[in-house]
Amino acid sequence: MKHLSEEELVERYYNGVAGMDQAGADDGHLNECAECAAAFAALEIDLAAMRPVEIPDKSEHYGEQMWARVQGALPSRGISAARKPRLALWRGLAFAAGCGVLVTVSFYGGRFYEHLHQHSVLDAQRRAPAAGTQQKVVVVVLGDHLDRSERLLVELKHADPASPELVNPLTEEARGLLAANRVFRDDAQREGDPALTQALSHLDQVLTEISNRPAGLDAAALERIRSQMNADGLLFEVRVLRSKNPHRNKTVRIAARGGAA
Amino acid sequence: MCSMSQSDGAAIQAVLAGDRDAFGELVRRHSRMLFRLAFRMTGNEADADDVVQDAFLRAYQKLATFESRADFGTWIYRITVHCALDRLQRRKQDDARRVSEDYDPEEDGVQVADSKPDPERMVISMEIAELQQAAMRGLTAMERTAFVLRHLEERSTEEIAAALDVTPNTAKQSVYRAVQKVRRRLTQLKVMA
Repeated sequence: MKHLSEEELVERYYNGVAGMDQAGADDGHLNECAECAAAFAALEIDLAAMRPVEIPDKSEHYGEQMWARVQGALPSRGISAARKPRLALWRGLAFAAGCGVLVTVSFYGGRFYEHLHQHSVLDAQRRAPAAGTQQKVVVVVLGDHLDRSERLLVELKHADPASPELVNPLTEEARGLLAANRVFRDDAQREGDPALTQALSHLDQVLTEISNRPAGLDAAALERIRSQMNADGLLFEVRVLRSKNPHRNKTVRIAARGGAA
Repeated sequence: MCSMSQSDGAAIQAVLAGDRDAFGELVRRHSRMLFRLAFRMTGNEADADDVVQDAFLRAYQKLATFESRADFGTWIYRITVHCALDRLQRRKQDDARRVSEDYDPEEDGVQVADSKPDPERMVISMEIAELQQAAMRGLTAMERTAFVLRHLEERSTEEIAAALDVTPNTAKQSVYRAVQKVRRRLTQLKVMA
């Protein structure tokens, strides 16, 4: 048989006293279990000892006496119902004004900082040439560019993917050709040379494909590039241009890769 | 009850409109009820008077926040509970400071509250009052308040929780712990008698 805990007995005691009954469920157990009944009786005796508190009798004038005490201690300023909302309104306005000032200061502070920063960058840029940090420029001849491109395409055509030490340098070479190739192509387009423009555009695609493989060229990539070269007849185009193009002595100036002089 | 609430409401409106004397109506109407509560909680008439006064002062200062739909009696009752709780906590701290120098755990169980006689206290049974004071002495302010509200004021767990701003379960546990401590102390006192 499960006995009632002390907490349950206390709960039962007060539920009975206050008349808020859920205690009925425990009554059956208390009637049957002598141990719990004894524990409950002991609880009743203890709590009964705490019950009769005689309160000093206060006369009907107590309220008047208390008012005399309270009245003397009341703050001199009266209160009004309108005071609270008005106070809240002022607080709200003050908060909003504070936020506004903060936003304005942040905005103009940011602009001022940006202004200063911009000046310092411009100053630095102006000072840069004086300090001798001029960008290195190289002059590339179209004939040379086509020679190098042809050699690259030939090496690519015969490259063995099982020998990465031979294949991987081609990536770096392609990057070196890419910038000049684009300048030549744009010039050819501007000057109305469709054959040269088309060939250099095809070459641009292949060079880009090779350049964008920092990890090197694997067998699948090589095969895809070779297919693209064959479809365009790229190697043939480059050879023809190198030998017959009237502009093969044309030069362009491009920024050298990787640094200043 | 309804007419009292209505007249309370009228008095509150008058106070908020600037008529300080209208607050006197509220004080006269509720003082005795609050004194009974405060006395039960503090066990001391002078403290109970101070608690009632504090409660009315606090109510006056916060009257603008009083919801007009609420019952003023319930509101001031809760304020009084908090004022009494504050006083009990202060008294506990003062007692701790006073006793700390020559604390004797053997005697702690039988020390009783101030027994300086006054006319009112002569009326009640000294033995019962002292027994109760001694039994309540070991309770925390929260436990004592919860116990008084449950045992003497016969408030429900929900009402105690609302008055103390705690959950009903916390209120119930406070009452239970108070009963446990009171019973332990009563057992000690009976043995020593």
